[in-house]
Parts: sequence; C-alpha cells; structure tokens
Amino acid sequence: MPKPERRPGKKKPNPLITAGIDTVDWKDAVLLRKFISDRGKIRARRVTGLTPQQQKQVAVAIKNAREMALLPYPGPARS
Amino acid sequence: MRHYEVMVILDPTLDERTVAPSLDTFLNVIRTSGGNVEKVDIWGKRRLSFEIKKHAEGIYAVLDINSEPDAVKELDRQLSLQESVLRTKVMRRETA
Repeated sequence: MPKPERRPGKKKPNPLITAGIDTVDWKDAVLLRKFISDRGKIRARRVTGLTPQQQKQVAVAIKNAREMALLPYPGPARS
Repeated sequence: MRHYEVMVILDPTLDERTVAPSLDTFLNVIRTSGGNVEKVDIWGKRRLSFEIKKHAEGIYAVLDINSEPDAVKELDRQLSLQESVLRTKVMRRETA
C-alpha cells in the first residue's frame, strides 16, 4: 500500500516526540536502530525529521552504542 | 559525588549465575571509598553486533553508581585487567 503523499513543505511527524522521549538513552538499541540505515549509517536529519538538537543527541547516542557493540559500525549491507 | 553508569561486557562462556557475585566483589572499591551502588542490572546474554575477541555474544551488565571520580576510575581499571571482561564503558549521567 503506498503511503499517503506528503505535499512539499509539509513537515514530517517528529519520531521522538511521538514516542514521548525527551532525552535519548544510548542503551536503547531498539529506538536507535530506527535512526540507522541497513548499512549501519546514521540517517540524515531530512530523513529522520528530528530537530537539530535531537539529531545531535541521537548521533552521540548511536556512537556510544556502537562502542559497546549494541549497534553495528557502517559497512557493507547485511541483514 | 557524581552519578556514573558503567556498562560491562563479559565473556559469554561464564556462568551467568556467577556474574552478580563476581561483579559485587569489584564494587567493594566503590563502597570502601564512600560511594554507593544504586543498581546492578544484568541484561544477560546478548548478541554483539560485531565480534569482540572472537566472541559473537556477550553478557551485558549495567552498574548505576554514586561515587567519587577516582573510585570509578579505579573500578574501571580493575575491570579492564580482568580477562573475562570484554569491554567496559563509563558514562557520567546528568541528573535530569
């Protein structure tokens, strides 16, 4: 089923506010997984629809989680 | 006094029942220096997203600690000397 088309200029729903989270926890790998691609790269802000502050928080959290092997480092696609 | 979060990844070949008591002996460093241990959360075995020292799995544990910086530093040093500890990470948690 195709997603409802978004008119240009219309904002995406902010995924963190909809989830009711104000501080990102780097131990929450399930949440952070939503913000990385299948190659393990951090998704861009225009994709995630986060505010600059939230995007920074998420990025730092992902990098911390990577150090503890909770999330993969970028590499060739794998499932 | 500061609030710290210490995450430890332990060797998956260890018996999970021995994890809590052995971590507790390390936590004496905190207790003897006047700090207190708020919570010891053992997540159990979890797949690592990449291999660490040839292990595909690890036993995760998160320690919530209130203590002086030097005591945590010493705890981290002692943990990292252990062969059975694959990785440690100390984070300052801001009291929200």
